[in-house]
Amino acid sequence: MDPFHQRIRRAISDEHLQEALDGNARRRVEARVTAFGSLPDWPERRQRAHAVRADVIENLDSYLEQFIHNAQNNGITIHRAKDAAEAVKIILDLVGAGGRPPLQKLIAKSKSMISEELDLNPALEAAGHRVVETDLGEYIVQLRGERPSHIITPAVHLRRSDVGQLFHDKLGIPYTEDVPTLTNTARKVLREVFLTADVGLSGVNFGVAETGGICLVTNEGNGRMVTTLPRTHIALMGMERLVPTLDDLALMLTLLPRSATGQKLSVYTQLIHKPLDGQQRHIVILDNGRSRLRASPLRESLYCIRCGSCLNACPVFRELGGHAYGAVYSGPIGSVISAGLFGSEFAPLAQASSLCGACKDACPVDIDLPKLLTRVRAGQADVERKEGQGLATPLKAGLQAFSLAARDPRLFAASQKLAALGTNLVSPASPWMHLPAATGWGYSKDFPKFAIKPFRERFIRQAAERAELKTTPQESPSKVHTSAVQRDCVQQFTEELNAVGGHILLTQDATASIIDFLHARNVDRIHLEPNTLDESALAAAGFTVAHAPDPSIRVGVTKALRGLADTGSVLVVDGDGHPLEASLLPEVHLVVLRKSDILPSLEDAIHLLRESRSAVVITGPSRTGDIEMTLTIGVHGPGEVHVFLTK
Amino acid sequence: MPTVQLFVTCLIDSFYPHVGEAVVDVLRRLGVDVDFPRDQTCCGQPNFNAGLREEAKPIAQHTIRTFEAVDGDVVIPSGSCAHMLRHNYAELFADDPHWLPRAKALASRTYEFTEYLVDKLGVTDVGARWDGPLTYHATCHLHRGVGVDRQPRTLLAHVRGAEVRPLPEEYDCCGFGGIFSVEHPELSAEFLKRKIRNLESTQSPTLVVADTGCLMHIAGGLHRQQKTQRVIHIAELLNNI
Ligand code: SF4
Repeated sequence: MDPFHQRIRRAISDEHLQEALDGNARRRVEARVTAFGSLPDWPERRQRAHAVRADVIENLDSYLEQFIHNAQNNGITIHRAKDAAEAVKIILDLVGAGGRPPLQKLIAKSKSMISEELDLNPALEAAGHRVVETDLGEYIVQLRGERPSHIITPAVHLRRSDVGQLFHDKLGIPYTEDVPTLTNTARKVLREVFLTADVGLSGVNFGVAETGGICLVTNEGNGRMVTTLPRTHIALMGMERLVPTLDDLALMLTLLPRSATGQKLSVYTQLIHKPLDGQQRHIVILDNGRSRLRASPLRESLYCIRCGSCLNACPVFRELGGHAYGAVYSGPIGSVISAGLFGSEFAPLAQASSLCGACKDACPVDIDLPKLLTRVRAGQADVERKEGQGLATPLKAGLQAFSLAARDPRLFAASQKLAALGTNLVSPASPWMHLPAATGWGYSKDFPKFAIKPFRERFIRQAAERAELKTTPQESPSKVHTSAVQRDCVQQFTEELNAVGGHILLTQDATASIIDFLHARNVDRIHLEPNTLDESALAAAGFTVAHAPDPSIRVGVTKALRGLADTGSVLVVDGDGHPLEASLLPEVHLVVLRKSDILPSLEDAIHLLRESRSAVVITGPSRTGDIEMTLTIGVHGPGEVHVFLTK
Repeated sequence: MPTVQLFVTCLIDSFYPHVGEAVVDVLRRLGVDVDFPRDQTCCGQPNFNAGLREEAKPIAQHTIRTFEAVDGDVVIPSGSCAHMLRHNYAELFADDPHWLPRAKALASRTYEFTEYLVDKLGVTDVGARWDGPLTYHATCHLHRGVGVDRQPRTLLAHVRGAEVRPLPEEYDCCGFGGIFSVEHPELSAEFLKRKIRNLESTQSPTLVVADTGCLMHIAGGLHRQQKTQRVIHIAELLNNI
């Protein structure tokens, strides 16, 4: 048996894995369906998103040029790598740069599938550096010495007991299955890493050609840490990962989180344009087979925005999880691009599909994945175009014979007859035949006998009965429900913020209300964004105010540039007094927002972020679902978000 | 009265001729003239799906020629084969200026059976009856491939005496997938197990489908597991008067 079939058998017989995967499939699919319920025009958005991505891939060279030009003007250093080896070399040079021995650096890494493509961690470690994955799921698989098994939820193959055992073995804590305890343990370990890391490594969700900015979408807060705290930030980006404009980005952001995690907006949507003070930012743009894919009939697969939704919808992934694919990218999209990016030894993955189309249905950019799978099968991932890639030889021979018969009606009818006679000889008494498992068909089911008299011999031409056509009026398909009358922005903002676990307080005087809050919490030091509160009143009330990050401070206070009604989000923009850190490092984030600054949605506000060095759209407290998709609040970012809404 | 050309599909022709007869009866009862071009064989889907496009092409060309020779709409009692003609032929001949228009012309006059009844004839009640519970499995190529889902459900809802019970995870694939179930029997078997488990949970003795590939697969699995549920094609149900 070939290794792929072996891995399949192993995955299917692993009950532990099966339970984990069943849970994932059910909950993820439900979450996605619910999330799209709040976006009644999503089918139309999906088509627009498809068109945006198609345009980018069609005109990739010019969009890349525009993106690079703008990013460079913003003070970001751009590197281009044509393959994995080149990218690794660039990154090693950047990481090791400027140092006298010891050159060993600490690298805090947030999730990046590109780095998996590059096999980056082993390369960095071989050079003497220490790399720590900081996304909870990634951290878990790194401790286990595994690869992520899902592009969004890397530890989807594990149950809480696995994580409990792992943390007990590797971190020395008492065995527990309590997810908040496990999460908190990781938080403590990783906090140290964030504060001392020399280099932050991240992926990129989108690059925006018109601004040269990059967008990162995360929930835990680790993505913000690694792009904000270390002196050097290196972002790894696939060359296809662009959108032309901020408007296009806003469109994508209505689809990506809903598809990926069932959220209207992820907790942190960062827009990064420039280096922060004293920081170096680099973007490494990777080809690694993408140009080849683009020139092939699999081009449409480059529209992918890596939401992972096709994995969750796929019945094959539901049986296998990610590891059995034996490739960096798994699931339907992985079965298409692996052959295109990394070579035809991955072509057999595409045979492992019933072509049921659940992936296409689930894809937010409407990629015709079943069609692409049949193209891989037809050898189109390859210059050689070997048809029937990954198909067992006897099957191929059988189908070749079938094709000869099926193009000749007489031969077809004769074969049919022969088959009927044959099957009746084999199984004279029963309408069924018990075939051996090795035939494939006989593995789990019986085979029906051919009819002695096929339809073609039974059909007799006859006129229709002259019945009157009985037509009944048709029910019109149920009306697409449109969202109720636009609710009042403030009310909607309040509801949405509550729904994601944030709190809201209406106040005439933000300073007074925050002083009350701090008293109630027994807090006497805060990290405050300047020009947010009345500092003399704070001083008079005995509070110490810091304008710079300090990990020991428990409460951070910032302004919000705007609020977003449809997601309950607040926009925090880099500026004096380190508001990005004030909204990230402390356990509690207090936000001052003016009522009149609440806009309906991100689409109305995204342009305001154009000029910022770096900005983040915050949607509730930091969270993770990486362990059995159990929602846990307060990972790396604040566990509480309170909005003080002023007139 | 309209005349339709029946593309009965190779599976019905070879294994389930009575389903083909049910299709003919239902259509004739509604006043439709049904003809059967005798040169038809298979649509070529097994080869196409396996990636053997060069071998699927002559079969597709043969099918196109066979139906070009006759007039009227083409009716197919299979979502999967309808999907093949409607979408995959265009994919197969995408770079072939000679065959592409011919493939598209055929696609534009091709209907899946329940789609033809409901959308083209405007019929929702064919006068069928059934005693007792039924459940319906929405086959993948029918509802995702050709986008036909409302039509069979409407027809089902009008069958007198039938109690249509919802099938849990009704949109999940049964695991047939043609060559897939042979190339990857382990995976296919898992989907099938789940489908049968869901069927059992409805306690319905009868499962209705509109695709004979899935029918053959599910019925074969039920027989192997010595279960008593029956799988029938929707045409058999609609022909039960
Ligand atoms: S192919 Fe579509 S569904 Fe799958 S990861 Fe990419 S964007 Fe998401």
